[in-house]
Amino acid sequence: MQGIFEFLFKYRPLVFEQGEFAFAAPLSVRTWLIVVGLIAAGAVATYTIARGKSSVVDRGVMAALRVGLLAVLVFCLMQPALTLSTVVPQQNFVGILMDDSRSMQLADEDGTVRSSFFAEQFTRGESPLIQALSERFVLRFFRFSDVARRVDGLEEMTFDGTHTNIANALDVARGELSGVPLSGLVVVTDGADTGERPLTEAIVPLQAAGVPVFTVGLGDETLEPDIELGRVELPRTALQGSTLMVDVVVTQSGFSRGSTVPVIVEDDTRILAEESVELGPAGEPVVTRIGIELQEPGARRVRFRIPGQPGERVERNNARNAWIDVVGESEKILYFEGEPRWEVKFMRRAVADDENLQLVLLQRTAESKFLRLEVSDSTELEFGFPTTRQELYRYRALVIGSVEASFFTFDQLQMIADFVSERGGGLLFLGGLSSFAEGGWAGTPVEEVMPVILGPPAGEEGYFSEIDVTPTPAGFAHPAVQLDAEPADLRTRWEALPPLTVVNPINAVRPGATVLLTGSRSEGGEQIVLSYQRYGRGTSIALTAQDTWLWQMHSDVTLEDQSHESFWKQMLRWLVDGVPNPVLAVAGEEEVEPGESVELTASVRDSTFLDVNDATVTATVTSPSGLVEEVPLEWTVEEDGQYAAPFRPLELGDYEIQINAQRQEASLGTDVTYLHSAPSDREFFGAARRTQLLRRIADDTGGQFYTRDNVATLPEDITISGAGVTLVDELDLWDMPALFLLMLLLMGAEWGYRRIRGLV
Amino acid sequence: MILPMRRSTPLHNFVASVAVLAAATACAFGSELAAQQAPVMDRSMFSDPRGPYLGEAEVKRTAGRFPFYWTRAMYSGGGFRRGSWAVDFPKSDQQFLIVIKRLVRLNAYDWENPVGLWDPDLRKFPLIYMLEVGGMYLTDEEVVGLRGYMEAGGFVIVDDFWGGRQWDNFLWNMRRVFPDRTIVDIDLDHPVYSAYYNIDEVIQVPAIGNTYRTAECAGCYPQVKGMYDDDGRLMMMINFNTDLGDAWEWAEQPSYPLEYSTYAYQLGANMIVYAMSH
Repeated sequence: MQGIFEFLFKYRPLVFEQGEFAFAAPLSVRTWLIVVGLIAAGAVATYTIARGKSSVVDRGVMAALRVGLLAVLVFCLMQPALTLSTVVPQQNFVGILMDDSRSMQLADEDGTVRSSFFAEQFTRGESPLIQALSERFVLRFFRFSDVARRVDGLEEMTFDGTHTNIANALDVARGELSGVPLSGLVVVTDGADTGERPLTEAIVPLQAAGVPVFTVGLGDETLEPDIELGRVELPRTALQGSTLMVDVVVTQSGFSRGSTVPVIVEDDTRILAEESVELGPAGEPVVTRIGIELQEPGARRVRFRIPGQPGERVERNNARNAWIDVVGESEKILYFEGEPRWEVKFMRRAVADDENLQLVLLQRTAESKFLRLEVSDSTELEFGFPTTRQELYRYRALVIGSVEASFFTFDQLQMIADFVSERGGGLLFLGGLSSFAEGGWAGTPVEEVMPVILGPPAGEEGYFSEIDVTPTPAGFAHPAVQLDAEPADLRTRWEALPPLTVVNPINAVRPGATVLLTGSRSEGGEQIVLSYQRYGRGTSIALTAQDTWLWQMHSDVTLEDQSHESFWKQMLRWLVDGVPNPVLAVAGEEEVEPGESVELTASVRDSTFLDVNDATVTATVTSPSGLVEEVPLEWTVEEDGQYAAPFRPLELGDYEIQINAQRQEASLGTDVTYLHSAPSDREFFGAARRTQLLRRIADDTGGQFYTRDNVATLPEDITISGAGVTLVDELDLWDMPALFLLMLLLMGAEWGYRRIRGLV
Repeated sequence: MILPMRRSTPLHNFVASVAVLAAATACAFGSELAAQQAPVMDRSMFSDPRGPYLGEAEVKRTAGRFPFYWTRAMYSGGGFRRGSWAVDFPKSDQQFLIVIKRLVRLNAYDWENPVGLWDPDLRKFPLIYMLEVGGMYLTDEEVVGLRGYMEAGGFVIVDDFWGGRQWDNFLWNMRRVFPDRTIVDIDLDHPVYSAYYNIDEVIQVPAIGNTYRTAECAGCYPQVKGMYDDDGRLMMMINFNTDLGDAWEWAEQPSYPLEYSTYAYQLGANMIVYAMSH
């Protein structure tokens, strides 16, 4: 198509886009218009005056054709032209940025390896492309992967980089060429960008400097057939004995929809789970939930993998690894109950054999009289509910039963809200006669922590309803309500459970809250039974039923049924899941290549979870061979309580990183994170050519996007881009074949009309 | 061992004052003793501070409206009229609730709640009170009901039976419920004795007509025994050779020694708080 256009109009469309149209004839356009008008009027007059057998319509048609012909002729006489800024040869620079990452080793469907492009096109003296570029510009070559640097030739390319960081590459090239006239940057890549910086940050300075970026896309747009295990998210820590529900995202192309592949979950010693995944439509990610049980304490690297399928193009994108620290210690939860209730007894019984949960009970048995159970020592909670943050924040989660809000002071209410938002603790509200609106919680600082919306409190008669509890679709997928049942049996298990009762009518949740369980009220209508929301750093949960103990005691429940026990174990484990410590250590990446830099960061807070900026923070890094290295972390200044330092592992294997924070000789806390040093497969995920991304870079900067097929026009396109040291060039348009053909067409049309009408 | 109790505590004073209210309650049910001291009054003659009486069927249907129901177990066996399960019924239950709600922050249904051991609705009430078990003769249905109730987590308080013969009868019935479980002493260091009040001695609580000698049989001394489940959780508390129920029922009577009713209410509060938290 472009060839036809170029034949008819002499130049490529890009030339018309870049140029400005003008008439090169010396007289003004107005003068020419007058001349054309006079000639046309004369022509029309001859037709009007002439008499013969022609009709008025005949004369009108012929006059119009003749006038058109004259107009084209006059147009040519006005010497139309395109005015273009073209670069001065050898006065301008062009930066060529070459992708040196591992994905360049992939072969296209026809067997052509992506990296072969560089040898074919950029070998001096052999390729017309490099010759054309060299004739016009001074070329500077860069290689880029995780870092970018200037290179002298292709021999420095290794195609072994572990990242594709296009933003960084653009920054480096712009920086290096900032002092010279720059006509453009040419980025040759598959576009599989794995950098974390937004590309916009690199594009905006280029736009400001008027530097166009020309992108050359390598590789196929789709890799077929291929299966990719796209994403796996594991919490940093989990309690020993927990069952994690892990979302695994699988994408396929080239395989039949509905076929199944196994996903195997394993650690260093054994297979933790195996699940069949039904593949979705090509290119559409399918999320599968896999449950894994974590029985052994300690940190481990869990590997999720799909065995290579017959004919698969890339097998190195079939596996993902994730670190998880299985915590064997006991997590402390404070359960404050405002009156003797059966929920207390049966909740305690349900989790009694869970060694990882310490459910500390504080139960008001009379005014200012409390029953304390499972306390660590005689002083714990001796004066009732905590009155200081330091005291409350020792717990990782808080359960508030049937207790009226007026029991608490305003400071205590604010502290409870801060327990979730600042400390990041889990907070569970239970239904009861003094809970929610009926307990006067509306209008308190805690109200907005609740995931449910409180209506007006029930009147003096109170509210009472029986409810059949059912999981919502979100509930069926949530670990807290799985009842330790097989996924296929879960619905049946819930349907078999006896109804509960509620005394707090609640039928709405806050925006952003998720409902996991609902209940059908005996009088009709829906009760929100279990819902949660993120609030600040923590999670708040509302369980509006008041007697889950019926799932244990009811005559319809067999003694073998462990639903009640499972429910509470999973609920309380969920409540403490992800609750942070004062000191939190994070490695920027969980897996890096030996020699690749990774940022170690630590969030440091004191016992009241206020950010600390004047701490001494040190990472003690133990290498796989046992070498111990101390890495000091510095306050980042950008964010309170954040400390960071780069670290570069040199050995292959697992690194343990223990971060200690101190202030004035007092320990603020420690935390451990892990890092695996090994050859990375990161480049093989999402490795198909990202045409849209590359086109966007080009469009945003005034450049062009190319593939292997049309890259030959690149030198000329840069020439007319207008960037750098340029000359104004005028390109004649009067001799366009299209004009000549138009004239012939008009003349032929008039002659043909005369023939048809018998006017010849 | 029978230990005299001669203390004057705030609880003594409170129980004494509550006795005034209890006396009025007692009048309402026409007890003979009460009738001798005050005119008979029916319920409509004074403003009753208690909540509505719902009736047995409605209580079962709406169980959950209150966090706690003082539930008396009905069982088969000897005894007059309704049987031995109904001894002191319902005055003892009502008076116990009046007092216990003043002592403990207990949101309880104000009235008696008798439920049969055979009744599936028994499971809606995780604590039952069972007395005069020396005359019980459980049907097979009741055996199954009681076994399932206790295994599911129900807590049983047993009271008011005396002497070896009644013990043997009770034991025979319990063997039918749990052939392999043993009944053991609950020593004073058990948490039930400190769940609400600190109780440091076990006292023999006499029946109303027996306050001068307390024991109803020769050599009978008070014992508190229990039955535990496989996980070591107490599921039955047996008050043997003692009559807590009479102390609850007759606390308002000047002839009934205050120290016994005080002790009975203390132990009652402890048993309830313990059962609802352990």
